Amino acid sequence: MADKDSRDTQEPKRKSGFIKLLLRPSVHYSIASLLMVGVVVGILFWGGFHTALEMTNTETFCISCHEMGDNVYPEYKETIHYSNPSGVRASCPDCHVPKEWGPKMVRKIQASRELWGKIVGTIDTPEKFEAKRLKLARNEWKRMKASDSRECRNCHNLESMDIPNQKQRARKQHEMAIEDGMTCIQCHQGIAHHLPEGMTDEDYE
Amino acid sequence: MKKTMMTSATGVIFALAAGSALAAAPADWSKVPEASITLLYPGVSPVEWINKGTEHGGARVLRKGETCVGCHSEEIAAMGQLIASGSKIEPTPIADKAAFIDTKVQAAHDGENLYLRFVWKQPAASGAGQMDDANPVKIAYMLEAGDKVELAGQAGCWGSCHGDARTMPGAAETKTKYVKDGSLANGVFYDLNQWRSGENKAFDGYVAEERVMEGGEALISAVGKLEDGVWTVDFTRKLTGGEGDVALESGQTYNFGFAIHDDSSAGRFHHVSLGYKLGIDAEADITAAKQ
Repeated sequence: MADKDSRDTQEPKRKSGFIKLLLRPSVHYSIASLLMVGVVVGILFWGGFHTALEMTNTETFCISCHEMGDNVYPEYKETIHYSNPSGVRASCPDCHVPKEWGPKMVRKIQASRELWGKIVGTIDTPEKFEAKRLKLARNEWKRMKASDSRECRNCHNLESMDIPNQKQRARKQHEMAIEDGMTCIQCHQGIAHHLPEGMTDEDYE
Repeated sequence: MKKTMMTSATGVIFALAAGSALAAAPADWSKVPEASITLLYPGVSPVEWINKGTEHGGARVLRKGETCVGCHSEEIAAMGQLIASGSKIEPTPIADKAAFIDTKVQAAHDGENLYLRFVWKQPAASGAGQMDDANPVKIAYMLEAGDKVELAGQAGCWGSCHGDARTMPGAAETKTKYVKDGSLANGVFYDLNQWRSGENKAFDGYVAEERVMEGGEALISAVGKLEDGVWTVDFTRKLTGGEGDVALESGQTYNFGFAIHDDSSAGRFHHVSLGYKLGIDAEADITAAKQ
């Protein structure tokens, strides 16, 4: 009895069965087998994670919420990024989700906040959306400016533009953009969605 | 006293007669170079609009000194179509309103007078009804010297076009064109000459704090005629006039713009040119060479 008490005192935090199993060195399996299993499980996990991630990175997913499907999507359908002579379409994530892994994860984590908005109905009517349009647009302009319009530049580059062959107005503006080191979104706000009411001159700077 | 007045009057008549004997419009206008200038239907695009970056993408380059012509000279007719159709900046589009008017402008001088000829094909009538029932057609040009009027050098007449002037949406009917800090004393004004077809009358005025249609001393005559659907209007203007008249000198260029009120229109429902340069014996968009 005294011995038992002594053992209890010496091992006050005995692990439960499953944790103990995990912590116990393997005596039955070779290191190679364990590594193999680890690699396979890792691939399955990583693949699954990315499959799920990419499922959320499609236009279909974006417009599955009526907040997007009813408000910004119909506006985008009227623009050149939806339909154009060359048949190249830039869909929601092409402009709004970074392609690089790190920035993409950051954006996805930020976007998870939208789930809360969805639950509490922050923009669940066209009126609520309009009331928030300027704020939402400003968020996106800020993000694009900070990244030097990275998502635009996935397809467009001042360096690869044949500026002399552009229309007169575009030519002038792009020459100025190069001179002044400007970024796409400074001029091209509203290129795929309606501009918000109440923009100020600072929004255009 | 009476005798003195009579003598003076006779003197003036002799002087005028002598002047007109020396001064004459080009005998053959076909030898005078033509400038092709397209006028567009401008909708509601006052100077406040062109300066507003959130509305007019060119506001940024305008602030950097770019001219309207620098960005738009190749698309004037297309801009007119967008506006006249109501697709852009025209809250009350008029059915069948001409979107633009192609004109030919010629200029010459003889050391005393400037001669300006404007030729254009009369567009088809629209469904606007008669805003100015006395005048089916009016044509006016404005001159500005020394870039004293803000934007006159970049945007022609736009320096006088404001959102609170009559016929603009919500504007008072009594408010005319004006220029920022307009002052004849400080030379901040546009010289304005107009010809009205119905009244067959020439007006010599200016635009400073407000638009004044008469009182100028430079304009001698304006004569217009419509032949085979083509208008030809000739202005004869002394190079130097009086108050509210820009004094034109050889070797100099001046800011120049013009507008046609077609189809009995009034106020903003005109067709306007972008800003151009008129040179007196100087290379410009339109050069008046000595005959």
